[in-house]
Amino acid sequence: MNESHDYDCLIIGGGLAGLTCGLACLEAGLSCAVVSSGMSALHFSSGSIDLLGYNADRTLATSPVDALPGFIEKNPDHPYARCGAETIMEAMAFFGRELEAQSAPMYANGRENHFHITAMGTLKPTFLSPASVFTREIRAAFEKRPAIAILDVKGFRDFHPGLAAANLRKNKLFADCPITCGEIELPGQTPAAGGARDMRSVDVARILDATTNLEAVAGAITAAAGRADIVALPAFLGLNRYQEILAGLRRATGRLIYEIPTLPPSILGMRLDQALKSRFAALGGVFIARDTVDAGRIEDNQVISVHTTGQKDDIRAACYVLASGSFFSKGLVSRYDRMFEPVFDCRLDTPPDGRSLSGAAFLSPESHAFIRAGVITDGQLNPQTADGRTIANLFCAGAVLAGYNPVIEGCGGGVAIATGYAAAKAIRARLHPPQPTATAGPQ
Amino acid sequence: MERIETDAIIIGGGATGCGIARDFALRGVDCVLIEKHDFAAGTTGRNHGLLHSGARYAVKDESSARECIAENIILKKIARHCIEDTGGLFVTLPGDDPAYHDLLLAGCRKTGIAARDIGRKEALAREPNLNPEITAAIAVPDATIDPFRLASSNILDAVERGARVRTHCEVTGIILSGTAAAGIRCRDRKSGQRLEVHGRVIVNASGVWGQEICRLAGIELLMFPSKGSMVILDYRINSLVINRCRKPGDGDILVPGDTVSLIGTTSEKIPYESIHDLEVTPDEIQALLRDGEKLVPNLSRTRVLRAFCGVRPLVATGKGATGRDISRGIVLVDHKERDGLDNFITIAGGKLMTYRLMAEQATDLACRKLGVTAKCRTHLLPLPGSERFKVPIRRRANFGESVIESTYYRHGTRAGDILAGPGADESLICECEMVTAREVAYAIRHLQAADIVDLRRRTRIGMGPCQGLLCAYRCAGAFMDVKGVDGSEATRMLIDFLEERWKGIRPVLWGDTLREAEFAYWICEGTFGLGKIVAKGAGKGEGVVIEEEYK
Repeated sequence: MNESHDYDCLIIGGGLAGLTCGLACLEAGLSCAVVSSGMSALHFSSGSIDLLGYNADRTLATSPVDALPGFIEKNPDHPYARCGAETIMEAMAFFGRELEAQSAPMYANGRENHFHITAMGTLKPTFLSPASVFTREIRAAFEKRPAIAILDVKGFRDFHPGLAAANLRKNKLFADCPITCGEIELPGQTPAAGGARDMRSVDVARILDATTNLEAVAGAITAAAGRADIVALPAFLGLNRYQEILAGLRRATGRLIYEIPTLPPSILGMRLDQALKSRFAALGGVFIARDTVDAGRIEDNQVISVHTTGQKDDIRAACYVLASGSFFSKGLVSRYDRMFEPVFDCRLDTPPDGRSLSGAAFLSPESHAFIRAGVITDGQLNPQTADGRTIANLFCAGAVLAGYNPVIEGCGGGVAIATGYAAAKAIRARLHPPQPTATAGPQ
Repeated sequence: MERIETDAIIIGGGATGCGIARDFALRGVDCVLIEKHDFAAGTTGRNHGLLHSGARYAVKDESSARECIAENIILKKIARHCIEDTGGLFVTLPGDDPAYHDLLLAGCRKTGIAARDIGRKEALAREPNLNPEITAAIAVPDATIDPFRLASSNILDAVERGARVRTHCEVTGIILSGTAAAGIRCRDRKSGQRLEVHGRVIVNASGVWGQEICRLAGIELLMFPSKGSMVILDYRINSLVINRCRKPGDGDILVPGDTVSLIGTTSEKIPYESIHDLEVTPDEIQALLRDGEKLVPNLSRTRVLRAFCGVRPLVATGKGATGRDISRGIVLVDHKERDGLDNFITIAGGKLMTYRLMAEQATDLACRKLGVTAKCRTHLLPLPGSERFKVPIRRRANFGESVIESTYYRHGTRAGDILAGPGADESLICECEMVTAREVAYAIRHLQAADIVDLRRRTRIGMGPCQGLLCAYRCAGAFMDVKGVDGSEATRMLIDFLEERWKGIRPVLWGDTLREAEFAYWICEGTFGLGKIVAKGAGKGEGVVIEEEYK
């Protein structure tokens, strides 16, 4: 780092893409700060990481590793095409290692997709899942066509086991599994007056984090689960002690307990968010929370500095990463008559008019065009100014990018991780041009 | 096949049909109402919710103006809990013909509408968001009315007095006996079951769809539909109804309603075939926003929540398809006189404002045919919920003031029963509109809410800023708990609700509305995987992955 700037790399956005990029920069020995304006999309995610759920022809991708080259060939403007299949898999391996280092490992078999069960009892193909959602052990248990109990906690606001059970029963894979529903009371909790469901996932997680009586919780689960071998609970088994709680409950009940992602706030996503932020801090990253980058100064096709709403002085860095998310996260802004990227006014790829933004049906295989809107970049993930000049020291990652649909392609988490990682690689190459060949990440 | 016997059959559950059911019930006549979708799901619920003072007609249409002010005074007495007595203004903008202001005052004087010239200063004091450039203002006794609540409380009263109602039930044929109508054939749209209703008189109150009903009876009664579009804003940016003081035109009214404001309306003649499938166009939205901005300049900085359109039924009174003799007022047709078919009446035309009067006229004619002499009392007896002014609701530990107030706002004096009601807990289901599980259970049990879209009309679930997502999931659970609906059916209800909501959001997909839509889409696809339920065919999910891996 030299005198003229504060960091080697400044990342705008503290979500999955920004944090992955930050970790890769820190591991490469660069100084790095993240400016994060609030909760990232992880807070309402499933907590699993989708790499590539569907092939270019929309059929299910059994193995993303095998499917990626063909997918990239068919989608030359996809963010994955900017990374290349090799870097994508390298990024996934890197991400897995970082979480392991933080003692928050995720399940992956390295090649193939697995499924996770949703709150509505549907199955979704995914590549990495929290260990409470899917493991080899859970898969082996499902193979035996077990009896399944889906349980809820009394007073929890956002889960109806019956909805999950009904749709799960319709799935031919579960046709031979007896599925029952039940409810448990959390020990030591006085139910709210009138039996109100006034707890959200975070409330339940905090109660369980604080409980000294896991035995009683296990007793309630055993009683409600009847003869079921597998017990599904909404994902609220603690935010901090979750591994201990899950292991303890499995031990005490003798059942295989697993978690189903819930409505926001997503505890699974929050655990992931916490693990990544802790790792980022442990590696010496600077995390500037609750601040928003609102403007950037560009001279000679370079970002010179950025301004934030919370600080008087501009922040200067050698390189910048725009990982500010899509419309919901305000990385992209839409107005009645136009769309724009609010910090640098980067060139966007957007649908031609309001009419073509969306499909007639909310839920359909055709999805919606607004999902694909975003910043156009070159092969280096560099965007352009509104008048078409490439900004050489600015790199884009994650949902701010144009040209992909995380929902129907099943690649939201994968694009965030792969582009975040690829941006870090490009930054390292820019700041420390390679002498011999560089390999990614620490070993 | 189910067969129902009654005296009077009402086709259509809009405000007029619901009003007729109540009128019959109050006169002690046994009646059955059949509605294809839900109460107030057609033209009634696609209205801007204005309780006219009549001032809008005072210049050009004296008899409509008189009808309006008379009904205005009646409804403020009998439908208190459906009405907010906001008051209204007619404001003149620079460039508008100043003569219209004087014409309006004179028209109001002549028709007995209490209008007052209040001047620019007082108007701005009463409505600070108004365009400060206005040159003149008249205060009129306009108010706002919730058409869903109005229809629903008419039905509640009718049912409590013995009327039978069937929603989501479609008329497929008219049963004739010689030269008289004797009943109807129907199909329940949810179960697919067929049923017949036999009665001594049939009242066709199906509005613009009346042409199709008449056709089933072999009668030609032409309708000339006119489409009106409206835009709903996320905030209540005005506290009074604001009318533009000029000849009626597009975008000349801004109506506050509950937690939102509404800009209305456009008017466009459309071919009859297109009434089943209408959408708001970008041009209409642009025109409405542009005109609305002239009345309230900060409108452009307000989030647009949704857009919707309705169909005004204009009836050709004469025979023949020339489209001359189109009436804009109330049209009551005794088909015996007109077509030689006895015991069959059509009531059409008119407006929400005159629903009670239309019901009275149709019920009077039907009663003459039935030989019933009882007189109409709908103008004298308050609707359920409006019996008297506010009754104190016993404070309960768990319900905050805002919950009690919102429940009272929606259900009037019935609020106490709802909040103390059985069979549901005290949870809040919708945070935007403060709807409790008790209110949802009450609507399912007593207000014929058959699905989540119906619940929207009964309780305002999903009408607030988020347009309904978490609450819809909770409602799907409520249908399972309260009605014993199975999980697949509840899933279907949730998806239907989301698709219905999408129709109104899609035309205004920008700003925070787009952000909200993106969020909802991620949840529905990412957390729920609902697309997997909707999607047809291989490779769209449904566990093929695990199968592949198991081989």
